[in-house]
Amino acid sequence: MYWVVAALAIAMSPQVLRMTLPVILMCLTPITWRLLAEAKNWKPLPKLVRHGITALSLIILAITYGGLFGRRASVSLLTVMLALKLLECERIRDARLIASFGFFLCATQFLFTQGIPMLAYGLTTVVVGLTALAQLQRQEAFEQVAAAPSPRASMFSDITFSLRLLLLAIPVGIAFFVFFPRWATPLWGVPETSLDAKSGLSDTMSPGSIQSLFMDDSPALRAVFAGPRPGNSDLYWRGPVFWHYEDNAWTGSFYGRNIEAGIIPDAGDASWDYSVQLEPSERNWLFSLDYPTVAPQDSRITMDFQVLRRQPVLQLLQYRMRSNPRHVDSPELKATLRAMALELPKNLNPRSRELMARWQRETPQPAALIRRVLDHFNQENFHYSLEAPLLGRHAVDDFLFDTRSGYCEHYASAFAVLMRMAGIPSRVVTGYQGGWYSELGNYFLVRQSDAHAWVEVWLPRVGWTRVDPTAAVSPLRVQQGSRGALSAPRHMLDFDWVRGARNGVDLLEQRWNDWVLEFSAQSQARMFADLGLDYISPAGLVITLFSALIVIGLILLPVAWRMASHGDGDPVQRTWQKFIRRLKKAGYHHPPSAGAMELASAVAVSLPGNSVEVSHIARLFSRYRYSAHPPEPGEIERAVRNFHPRKPLLE
Amino acid sequence: MASLAATLDRLRPGPRFERWILERVRQRRGPPQLPFTLEYRHIYVMPTRFGAWFGLLLATITIGGLNFNNNMALLLGFVLAAIAQLTSLLAYRDLVGITLSGINTSPVFAGENAAFRIYLKNPEPRHRFAVQVISDESTEVEDIGPQQSACFALKQASFVRGWMELLPFRLQNRYPLGLFRAWSIIIPTARCLVYPKPAGNPPPLPRTRRGDNGTAQPGEGEHFHGLRDYQPGDALRRVAWRTSARHDKLYSKVMETPREEACELNWYLMGHQAPEEKLCILAAWILIAERRGIPYSLELPADSLPAGLGDEHREACLKILALYGT
Repeated sequence: MYWVVAALAIAMSPQVLRMTLPVILMCLTPITWRLLAEAKNWKPLPKLVRHGITALSLIILAITYGGLFGRRASVSLLTVMLALKLLECERIRDARLIASFGFFLCATQFLFTQGIPMLAYGLTTVVVGLTALAQLQRQEAFEQVAAAPSPRASMFSDITFSLRLLLLAIPVGIAFFVFFPRWATPLWGVPETSLDAKSGLSDTMSPGSIQSLFMDDSPALRAVFAGPRPGNSDLYWRGPVFWHYEDNAWTGSFYGRNIEAGIIPDAGDASWDYSVQLEPSERNWLFSLDYPTVAPQDSRITMDFQVLRRQPVLQLLQYRMRSNPRHVDSPELKATLRAMALELPKNLNPRSRELMARWQRETPQPAALIRRVLDHFNQENFHYSLEAPLLGRHAVDDFLFDTRSGYCEHYASAFAVLMRMAGIPSRVVTGYQGGWYSELGNYFLVRQSDAHAWVEVWLPRVGWTRVDPTAAVSPLRVQQGSRGALSAPRHMLDFDWVRGARNGVDLLEQRWNDWVLEFSAQSQARMFADLGLDYISPAGLVITLFSALIVIGLILLPVAWRMASHGDGDPVQRTWQKFIRRLKKAGYHHPPSAGAMELASAVAVSLPGNSVEVSHIARLFSRYRYSAHPPEPGEIERAVRNFHPRKPLLE
Repeated sequence: MASLAATLDRLRPGPRFERWILERVRQRRGPPQLPFTLEYRHIYVMPTRFGAWFGLLLATITIGGLNFNNNMALLLGFVLAAIAQLTSLLAYRDLVGITLSGINTSPVFAGENAAFRIYLKNPEPRHRFAVQVISDESTEVEDIGPQQSACFALKQASFVRGWMELLPFRLQNRYPLGLFRAWSIIIPTARCLVYPKPAGNPPPLPRTRRGDNGTAQPGEGEHFHGLRDYQPGDALRRVAWRTSARHDKLYSKVMETPREEACELNWYLMGHQAPEEKLCILAAWILIAERRGIPYSLELPADSLPAGLGDEHREACLKILALYGT
């Protein structure tokens, strides 16, 4: 039973980490109860109590997730129900149900993430689950005769057994994986009503929203460039674009989301051609460099150059992208858009308004004014810092005149507001900036901590132009990435070598994504095309699969046979063989026909220095074999382990 | 959920399937020649109910994985399927090669459980885990170590006297995960002798005063036993005067007393009970006589035994009773 609990606990662990505290408690309480009940032989709970707890849990779940449907809610429901099943688990049937559902729970976890840690998780779940099933099976077999299973079926042997099973099954599983006919299009969609998008950029920007990502070193996307790769200062991965400023928060606009961009001319050789592996973000937007020219499958490019996908990205997504960095965005600005890009809440930030009015009088040229504001950030006592003080109602005033320290979103927000005050249309763009280039893997790794916010201002004839006010305060931020900008370590493990190791490990992760997670009907077809088979029907695939299985079987069977018979042998016999080998090394040859006690007397003559030990071992061995009260096998093992024959001095 | 379980239940090979296989085995193979070694053609493997459920679970995982092109879920499904398939092989391998080396039993009285001891030998150097021997009435399970034997005592209730055949039984296991059941049907030729059930309240033992066949105790008594040399102190009336006169030497007579009167268990001297009832009473008398140490003879229409005592005699008598009229 303990193994069943362990199997379930391991299977639900990633899910538990994603849940809220009350739901976590709902999972952990039945587990604790079951462990205590097993240890102290408690009686099962009354039916009424169990049903009450179940109903209560359903209500709590429905409140937490706003319903019981959708991926997150239903997986949580499954987890909680399985945990509650532990309350009512007196029979082997129930225990088996829980253990087998553990595998299912494990499969549902892959709907959320599929990184390499999940591989370790999956393997552990399988091994522990199999061990639980093996123990339940023994329990069931011996339960019928009311006998305790014999001690041979120890925990250890069950684990090694499960490991062996897994080891033998993996090649077969891989053959299935490669050759099993795939579906090019899904039969049904992903039901999802509650996306919590726990990390990553969000669809609003307020002070602190990007700063909170700074601690998160998990990968956001990886990009492989086919041709030339851009320099660090061009690596602005464009995400959500914000037009509306209200209550110190930026939000997108209906126009921005719903009007598509016209056809963007390709820049030929100057274009960047790359493919992006986007980690699941549970959001709709895809990231691209300025300016995306082709929309990937199922997505569109909006007029403010967001690439929006029809469904949220729930699993690793790979898409090809081509960007034209020379494109001029809207040399003419429509009046509605201009009005939108100048809109500001009335009666707020009077001091900034006054300052901008003065500066606008002094420097009427927009470009010069922008320069002046940036210089102001650069030369005055502004700090780029994680510890940004809270801002009041007049947030821009507070920031500009009082606190003067903040993260990129503070600067971007303040800058955009100042521009609007000066009559220059502006919008805020969020996304990622920079990325770590893996020389080994030849790709850019962009982490969540690279999240960034910048501003685009509209200038006549030049169109929308990117201005990064953060760069004015802290040029290192753009040149060296987000970590370059701050000297203090972010957390306890923030050392160079840790980051280096993490980047190295990421190469593994990228390969894993590339080869395993991205394998699809198309990759399968490509693989066969590479092998010279242009089209292979599902029936053909099945035939190929079985041929592969036969080949694997022929290779594995002898190995399996040896492993199986080796593991099942008598441990004492093996120890005895080891003992004979040691004697042989010392120069004494043991005829196989001689018995243990004969050996002892023969060795006493040829190896007098060891006669005491040898006769002890021989006596143990024959007692183990023939006595009604055999000694523990461990005793013989110990004796043989400590046996080091001394060669006779005189030959 | 309940209806699903019911459907699975219906799909499960039930008693009809078992009977069909039994018939097939009877026609094809008949009773085994001992020692009988299980070979591949003797062993059937089918998924258990849990196995069917597990298969359904794997199908769900795989279809979900295919639909969302979730490759890790697919891998998990495929690896688990491969493991499940492998366990069917292991279940088979756990049985194949086991040798049925013998079956024996000891007689019982009708109404008692006969215990058939079934000896299985594992000639190979590997463990056989949780081998079950299953009949309709009992289940025995044991691990058989490498090159070792195990004895499984199958119980079978007896109802009527005579020979009772051991009913067909199965060697079975669900090793290692309970997903598959491997089994083999054995149609044995073993039989167990069933004595009549001793009557609960038998009439008293029919005693004769004759002790002709009894073991007598020499010494004082009324019956003549033999002669020996006169020893001073012998009573004068014990001296065999006539013999002493003939041989010129004094002889004393040694007398004897039968220790107990022998009893004659005679079918014809019993009342007018039904034959089966008589047999029950006779069986009860035999047990009583044995307990008291009274020699007894048996007389039945078909067979008779002279008076005697002891386990051998008792079993011979009971056997006559058990097989009376067959």
